[in-house]
Amino acid sequence: MDSIIVENVSKTFRVKQQSRFLGKVQSSGIKIVNALNNINFNVKSGEMIGIIGMNGSGKTTLLRTISGIYQQDSGKIITNGMIAPILQLGTGFIDELDAYENIVMYGMLLGIKKDIIKSKIPEIAEFGDLTEFLHMKLKNYSSGMRSRLAFSTVLQVDPDIMLVDEILAVGDQVFRERSYEAFKSFKNQGKTILYTTHNLEKLSELSDRVILMDKGSIVSIGKPEAVIEEYRKMIIKRKRKN
Amino acid sequence: MTSFPLINLWAQRALVIQFAIINIKTRYKGTYLGLLWTALEPTFTFLLLYIVFTSIRIRPGENFAIYLLTGIILYHIFSRGTLSGLSSLQSNKGILQSFHIKKEFFPITVSLATTILMTVQIGVFFTLMFFFQYTPPITIIAYPLVLLLLIILITGLTYILSITYVYFKDIQPIWGVIIHAFFFVSPIFWYVKDSHEILQMLFVINPIGQIIEIAHSLVIYGIIPPIQDWIYTSVFVIAIFFVGYFIFQKFEKRVLEEI
Repeated sequence: MDSIIVENVSKTFRVKQQSRFLGKVQSSGIKIVNALNNINFNVKSGEMIGIIGMNGSGKTTLLRTISGIYQQDSGKIITNGMIAPILQLGTGFIDELDAYENIVMYGMLLGIKKDIIKSKIPEIAEFGDLTEFLHMKLKNYSSGMRSRLAFSTVLQVDPDIMLVDEILAVGDQVFRERSYEAFKSFKNQGKTILYTTHNLEKLSELSDRVILMDKGSIVSIGKPEAVIEEYRKMIIKRKRKN
Repeated sequence: MTSFPLINLWAQRALVIQFAIINIKTRYKGTYLGLLWTALEPTFTFLLLYIVFTSIRIRPGENFAIYLLTGIILYHIFSRGTLSGLSSLQSNKGILQSFHIKKEFFPITVSLATTILMTVQIGVFFTLMFFFQYTPPITIIAYPLVLLLLIILITGLTYILSITYVYFKDIQPIWGVIIHAFFFVSPIFWYVKDSHEILQMLFVINPIGQIIEIAHSLVIYGIIPPIQDWIYTSVFVIAIFFVGYFIFQKFEKRVLEEI
């Protein structure tokens, strides 16, 4: 069974190009940016697919469109099962609240029921090595602590489909390893996972298939080794061009 | 797709309540007195105006303190509520970009926070009444209807202001000026019956002024306003609510690109 079906999906952004000085418009115009061009692919239930591509290739836009944050201009997206978009780790955290309150809020945003997330707080704090800082305001947290807090909370999500943006890029080496292990366990649980990463080594280990995107289009889709090779060639070609 | 306001948020009601509480907790962040300001702000405004107007008025109306207080409390809820509603979408940009959440969620959480805080301000209202040894007439039992109309008005304007702010940032200072104007064109420190005809004309098209005047009838004059006054104000306020929702729905689709 397919968990995600993406058919002919396109998405444009209207980017205002305008500068003002003392209220007077100096230059203006609207530029249409094709963020996604006629995207087609299916994800089978329990499949893990990595998305790669240069910055601005449309990876995050694709995840946001599938999760319903963006509305596509045309095309169809069908999803079967509960989706958890994990797009910007820790977005929504409020500095003035302590970690406890932030876990509750963040967990609820991820779709976890309030009483369930509350009952899991000791476990979350322990996983992130944050038990003694649970009642500290988040403004006093380091960026590493924030990432750990967010990731530990994310682990409590139990969706059918996970859409994950650059999760393997946050925190220090130890934390990255821990994230990777947790990620693998999601795969073993049979979750459908669509994720983006720049870590090509982990990508080939984890993914069943890989999608290569460029300028809003899918360039290729297939076995990790072949697609990663194509991506490497693309990078070399771009470097030469520059 | 056209839908009815609030219906879509029912499934997320626990999150709406959670965010309303967070909104209240963070509203006076960094201040020593915190939430106490919710009570102190209208109290200080009232005391200041009371001292000024009782010094310059030759013949203050009967129960002028309570008359003034009735208007100030409602005006304060109105101005605070709409001003915090105005930035409700913009200030949650990160969440909007990361979670699949109805955009209506944010103006509604702010309106709910305003409603919760309103109970504190109404507490101040009754405390000061007691302080001035004023016994309100029996008609005050209809006062909750005034508060209901006020919240519907604030929510309708919050729909309009929050979506406008995403596309047109100048609305913030503009609304600041308009709010200021509402203070002067509403019967807060002046009486409708002895005001200039220009003020009376403005009063007809001023929803917060209409609400304040209904409150004066109930709290000061001991009169239930005639049914046509209730109908006029209710239709006016409900129309603003639905027009606000319609505008919000029409422009919410491109919010993420403009924010």
